[in-house]
Amino acid sequence: MTAQRATGALRGTLLEVGAVSRFTGRFFHEAFRSRFEWRELFRQAYLNGYLSLPLVAITAFIMGLVLTIQSRPTLAAFGAETMLPAMVSISVVREIGPVITALICAGRIGSSMGAELGSMKVTEQIDAMEVSGTNPFKYLVVTRVWSTILMLPLLVVLADAIAIWACYIGVNMRGTVSWSLFQQQVFDSLVFTDLVPALIKSVFFGLAIGVVGCYKGFTTEKGTEGVGRAAHSAVVLASLLIFILDLIAVQVTEILDLN
Amino acid sequence: MGTSAPFASNAPLADRIGTEEVIVVRDLCKAFGANKVLQGFDLTVRRGENVMVLGKSGSGKSVLIKCIVGLLRPDNGSISVLGQDTLALDPEALDRLRVKIGFLFQSSALYDSMTVRENLEFPLRRHWIAQEGNDREALVHEALENVGLMNAIDMYPSELSGGMRRRIGLARTLILKPEIVLYDEPTTGLDPITGKEIVELILRLQQKYATSSVIISHDLNVAKLAANRIAVLYEGRNHAEGTYDELRAMTDPSVKQFFIFM
Repeated sequence: MTAQRATGALRGTLLEVGAVSRFTGRFFHEAFRSRFEWRELFRQAYLNGYLSLPLVAITAFIMGLVLTIQSRPTLAAFGAETMLPAMVSISVVREIGPVITALICAGRIGSSMGAELGSMKVTEQIDAMEVSGTNPFKYLVVTRVWSTILMLPLLVVLADAIAIWACYIGVNMRGTVSWSLFQQQVFDSLVFTDLVPALIKSVFFGLAIGVVGCYKGFTTEKGTEGVGRAAHSAVVLASLLIFILDLIAVQVTEILDLN
Repeated sequence: MGTSAPFASNAPLADRIGTEEVIVVRDLCKAFGANKVLQGFDLTVRRGENVMVLGKSGSGKSVLIKCIVGLLRPDNGSISVLGQDTLALDPEALDRLRVKIGFLFQSSALYDSMTVRENLEFPLRRHWIAQEGNDREALVHEALENVGLMNAIDMYPSELSGGMRRRIGLARTLILKPEIVLYDEPTTGLDPITGKEIVELILRLQQKYATSSVIISHDLNVAKLAANRIAVLYEGRNHAEGTYDELRAMTDPSVKQFFIFM
């Protein structure tokens, strides 16, 4: 019975992976074909990018400050307290900034896409769009996924900047470091190849959040109960994919010797 | 709608019905897994005609019109709409054909994130119709005046009652002036008075824009009021066909069951 259940779960997982892959393939097929829904794309960029700013900014500030405060005793024990700006900025730019920003967006944007499209599906709004001669996949999915692909790197850059600024505040809570010295320490430690892989992986994070959110919403079934499940599973699956993509990105960066 | 309202027929007069067949469905079959919903259903609608498909809940009525408009693909059979084989059309050609087909959903299916004005403008923008702001505004106003809801223009669907949503849904369905309109349970969930108003509105607008219609319902008051011809869908097949009075006179128990409260 247990083996039967495990086989069923494995089969379900593989079917889901296949369905998400087909959905992603359809996105790439439709994403570069006219007609482009510019108006809806800008609206989604505003909703998913601009409206995420406050949450991303607050989280990045706290993340930068906490990281600085927590790291100081360890560095001080080795007499390397002056390395604090460099250590925090490298951690933030390479890893923590992209991953934390992506997780926040998976929660905020992924759940919102799953719930909105799911609710449109069960109330026949997607069917209504289709019978009015509009391709709902192009109008609803392509624009949303493009918006997350484009907005996530911008949010990551902003989160990095705010976290480093918070680090400056943290450093000055127990000492006095001028802004110009702090900047010099940060930029001396950072190189271009720290930023580029982080931005590339944030593009993939954006793709994962958009595709999973839209897939879960677009395939919602079983009424309002299904809408809740779509929102919830969009967040869970997108978060899991972010960690998997991050693991792959680290391996690729290591192999290509970019760090 | 209620069960005892003495509605008189307002269906289009026979002399307004043309000979051209605008919808021809033959041997339509559709199954969902082991559940065979349609098992060889036929339907013909002529220009200007109102045909009602009568059937119990879950008998496949909505599946039928979703196949006609291309939302579902049948397993077997043929569908011709305005002379075009819909099953052979590519997606772009199907979208062009859909401009000539209106579809009123049972739930009205208004876009929640848009105001009434934006809901009505949506099909116009999608098909590059009335691109000038003033022209578009005029069409939106005409659509809202048709359904008597000008004051709802800047409201969101969540602020509307069930009857108002159905009227706005009807306005959006007709804003592209389709040649054929498919109505999915137009009175379900409405009180008898509002239901009657909606049917009268459908008939008034049908005469104004000279549309042909397929009405899906289990409501015999709608049948009496609006249908030129009624096709009874039973166990996935055509079980009986005729006018309201002809069906009412039938002794077949499967047909008589629909008149149990009449």
